[in-house]
Amino acid sequence: MEAVSFEYKAYKPRPFTKEERPYTTILFGGLTFKHERLITGALENMGYKAKPLPNIERIDLDIGKEYIDVGACCPTTFTAGNLARTLMDIEKKEGREAVRDRYVFVTIGACGPCRFGQYHESYERVLEGLNLRDFRLFLLDLLQLEQSVEGGGLEISMPLTLGLVYAMFMGDLITDMEYATRPYEVKKGQTDQVVKDSVEVLYEKLKKRPIVGKKLGNFLWHIFTDYFVDALKEVKKLWDEIEVDRLQPKAKVKITGEFWLQTHEGDGNYNIKRWLEEQGAEVIPPPVAVWMDYLINMELFKLEDAKPFVKNYYLKKFAISFFAWLYRRTYDKLRKALNNIPNPLPSQRELKELARPYFYYRLTGGEGHMLIGKALYALKHKQAHMICELSPYGCLPNTMSVGAMAKVLADYPELLYAPIEIKGDSEVHAYSRCQMVLTEAKRRAKEEFEQALEKTGLSLEDIRDFEEKHPQLKRATYKVPNYGYAGTSANYVMHVAKLMGRLK
Amino acid sequence: MGFFDSLGMKVIFSSDTSEEQYRTYGKGRITMDSCFPVKALAGHIGELLHKDIDILFVPMIYSLPSFLRGHVMDTLCCTRVMMAPENIKAGFLKERDEFKERGIKYVSPFVPFGEPELLPKYLFESLKPAVEDLTYEEVVEAVREGFASLEEFDKSMREKSLEILRWCVKNNRPALLVLARPYHMDPGIGHEIDAELQLYGYPVLWYNYLPIDKWLLDWLGISLDISDVWTSSYSSNTNEIIWGAKFASRFPWITGVIRLSSYECGMDQPTFTPVQRIVESSGTLFFKFGELDETKPAGSVKIRVETIVYYLEKYSQDIIKKKLSRLREVPKELTL
Ligand code: SF4
Ligand code: SF4
Repeated sequence: MEAVSFEYKAYKPRPFTKEERPYTTILFGGLTFKHERLITGALENMGYKAKPLPNIERIDLDIGKEYIDVGACCPTTFTAGNLARTLMDIEKKEGREAVRDRYVFVTIGACGPCRFGQYHESYERVLEGLNLRDFRLFLLDLLQLEQSVEGGGLEISMPLTLGLVYAMFMGDLITDMEYATRPYEVKKGQTDQVVKDSVEVLYEKLKKRPIVGKKLGNFLWHIFTDYFVDALKEVKKLWDEIEVDRLQPKAKVKITGEFWLQTHEGDGNYNIKRWLEEQGAEVIPPPVAVWMDYLINMELFKLEDAKPFVKNYYLKKFAISFFAWLYRRTYDKLRKALNNIPNPLPSQRELKELARPYFYYRLTGGEGHMLIGKALYALKHKQAHMICELSPYGCLPNTMSVGAMAKVLADYPELLYAPIEIKGDSEVHAYSRCQMVLTEAKRRAKEEFEQALEKTGLSLEDIRDFEEKHPQLKRATYKVPNYGYAGTSANYVMHVAKLMGRLK
Repeated sequence: MGFFDSLGMKVIFSSDTSEEQYRTYGKGRITMDSCFPVKALAGHIGELLHKDIDILFVPMIYSLPSFLRGHVMDTLCCTRVMMAPENIKAGFLKERDEFKERGIKYVSPFVPFGEPELLPKYLFESLKPAVEDLTYEEVVEAVREGFASLEEFDKSMREKSLEILRWCVKNNRPALLVLARPYHMDPGIGHEIDAELQLYGYPVLWYNYLPIDKWLLDWLGISLDISDVWTSSYSSNTNEIIWGAKFASRFPWITGVIRLSSYECGMDQPTFTPVQRIVESSGTLFFKFGELDETKPAGSVKIRVETIVYYLEKYSQDIIKKKLSRLREVPKELTL
C-alpha cells in the first residue's frame, strides 16, 4: 500500500498578472455568437485580448462525456467538451506552452444550488484529463460589479461591467430583431446578413466606447449617454432595408427552458429555433437580460419577505427598486432605438404572481418559477401560440418545474406547451415531439388570420394594394401593435384595417 | 417533533420507503423522470392520504441547518428536494383535488433553515389557513423548541459516534464511514447496505453525525473548512459529504468509506472524483454503490459486501498503522 499523503487539493489557477495581459487571450463562451462578439468588443475596449470558444458542435457532447464524471446534465457536458476541444486545438496549433501561458478561460459562477454553481468542477476534470492542470481557469461571480482574478490580470471594474451589460442588452435586441424578421423576409438570407453587419457595427462601437470617469462618474455616463442609442439607430437603418411580407400566418413559438439551452443557437439544442422557423414558425427567443432581471428582482422579493428583520428596510428597498427600474429603463431606451420591435422584458412581479399557485418563487435553481410564469405570461398577453420549453437531460430544477406544469395545463387547457428534453443526441425524437404541438399552433395561427380578415372584411389583395401605397409597412422596422391576437399576421391585418379606417 | 409537540399536534409519519409503496400510491403522480428519492415522495404523500390525518405537511426545504454553516458559502438543499413538493402536488391536483376530496389540508411551507429568523413567518403563513386559532407567537416558540430538540438529537448522535470511535481505538478495530445523502438511511432508498456490512462486525458511522470536538479535529489537522478541496460549497449535503471524506481520510480507524448514490443524482455527479480522491489520498479504501434505484439489487449487494469485507480484513491494520504514523500521539480523550 502507498504511503499516506493527505494531498488532494482543489484546483487553484496560477495568478494571471497585469504584465501578461497584452499577450494573453481570455477565452469565454456560453452565449450566442452575437452576444459573444459584442462581449469581445467590450473586453477589447478595456485593453484585453478576448476570444469566444467555437460554437458548440455535436462532438463536444462525446468529448465532454469522456472527461467528466458520468451523469452530468447536457449543458455541463457540452460546455466541458467544448472547452476540451478548444484546448486540444490550441495545443495542436500553438503548442502546450501557449495553452499554459497565453490563454486563460473565464466562466461565470453563481450561487447555483444545481450544477450551475459547480460547472468549474467539471472543467477541472477536463484539465486533469488533458493533463493541463496548469491551464488557468477563473470563476467570476455573476452578481459582483467589481472583482479581480488573482494577479490582477483581469479586473472587473465598473466600466467593464457596464460594457458587458450593454453588450448583453444589444446582443438580446439584435436577436429579437432577427427572429421577428427572418420568417417574413422577402429576400432569403438578407436578415442573416444584416444580423452580421449589425453585430459588427455594435462591436466597433463597444470597442471604441469612451471610458468616462471611474466609478460613479462612469456609472452616470452609462445612464445618461446616448452613445448606444445612436449606435442602434445606425443599425436600425440596416434593418429598414429589409422588406418583409407579414401576410403569412405563422405559429408564434416562445422558447423557454434552462438558461444555457434556451439561449444557445446550435447543435447543443438541435438548432431548434432554426428548425422551428423552417417548419413555418416565428420564434420568440429568450433574452439573457430576463435572467439578470430575475436575479435583481429576487433580491427585492427576498428583502420584502424579511422586512421585519432588515435594518434600513426602506432605504434598501428603494436602492434595489431603483436599480431594477434603471435596468429596465435602459433596456427600453435601447429598444426604442429599434422602434420597439424587440420585446419588452416581462414584469418579474407578474411572473412571480402568475406562477405562485404552482411554483413558489423562492425555490431558486435554474429558472425557478420563471418557466411557469413565462408560459402563463405568454398566454395572458397573447404573446405566443405555443411554448417550447427546452429541458436538458439530467437537469435538476427543470425536471421539477416541468412536472408542476401538469396542474397548470389542467387549469389552462388552451395552453399549448411542448417540453422538449434535450439529450444532445436524439434530435429526431425532439423534433417529432415538438411537431405534434406545432401542428395545432399553426392551425390556430391560420384560424386567427382568417378571423382577422373576416372581421375586417379585407382581402389579401386589398391589403397588398394598400401596402403598395404605403411601402413603409413592409419594412422590418415597422412596428405592428397588438390587437389581441398572438400571431403577427392577424395583428397586421387588424392594423392595416385600422389605418384604412375600417376599425372603430 | 419538537416543533409539532410544542404546537400540541400529533404527528403520523408515512412508513419507510419501499418499491411497493411507490407502486401503490405514487406511480403516475410524478410526470417527469427523476431520481428515486424524489419519486419516492409521491408514494409517501399518496400513502398519507389514506391515513386519518387533518393536515398533510410537506415542507419545501430550501436550506438546512448544517454544522458547517459559517465555514461554507451556503447550506442549500438540492433543487429537486426543495422543488419536489410543487412537482408532486400537481400530480394529486391535475384531475381533481384529491386532498380536498379526503378532507385533508395540504400544507407546504417554504422552509429555509439557513435563515432561521424567517422560519416562523413562512411556517405561520402556511399553517394558519389550516389551523385557525394558531398565533404567530406560538409558532415562534415552536420553532425555538424544534431547534432545541434538533440540537439535542444531533449532540446525542455525535456522542454516540464518538463512543463507537473510542471503541475502535480501544480494540484497534476498523470502522466504516458512509458518505451519502441523509435519505439513504431509509431502507427503501439506501437498501440497508450499511446494515449488511454491520452484520460482519464492522461498526458503520454516518458522515453527518461524526464528532466535531475541537481536540479531535486539531489532532486530525482539519477544521470545518473545506475550501482546500471543494470551492463551490453551496449544497449542504455535498459540503458535509466532502467534509466527511476529509475526516475519513485522516481518522486512522476509519479504513473504508462506502459511498451511496442514487441513480441520476445530479448533486453527487460533480463530487464523484473529488470525494474518491480525498478518501484514497491517504490509502483509505473507497467503495461506491452508485445508481441506487427503487429495486434492491440484493444479489449484487451481497457479492460487493463480501468483497468489501475481504479488503477490509486484508488491509485495515496496515491502513491504521500508516494513517497513525502521520499523526501525533493519540489524544487521551480518544482513549477514555
Ligand atoms: S439548471 Fe439544469 S441544466 Fe442548467 S446547470 Fe443546473 S442542472 Fe444543469
Ligand atoms: S440530491 Fe440527488 S438523489 Fe437527492 S434529490 Fe437531489 S438529485 Fe435526487
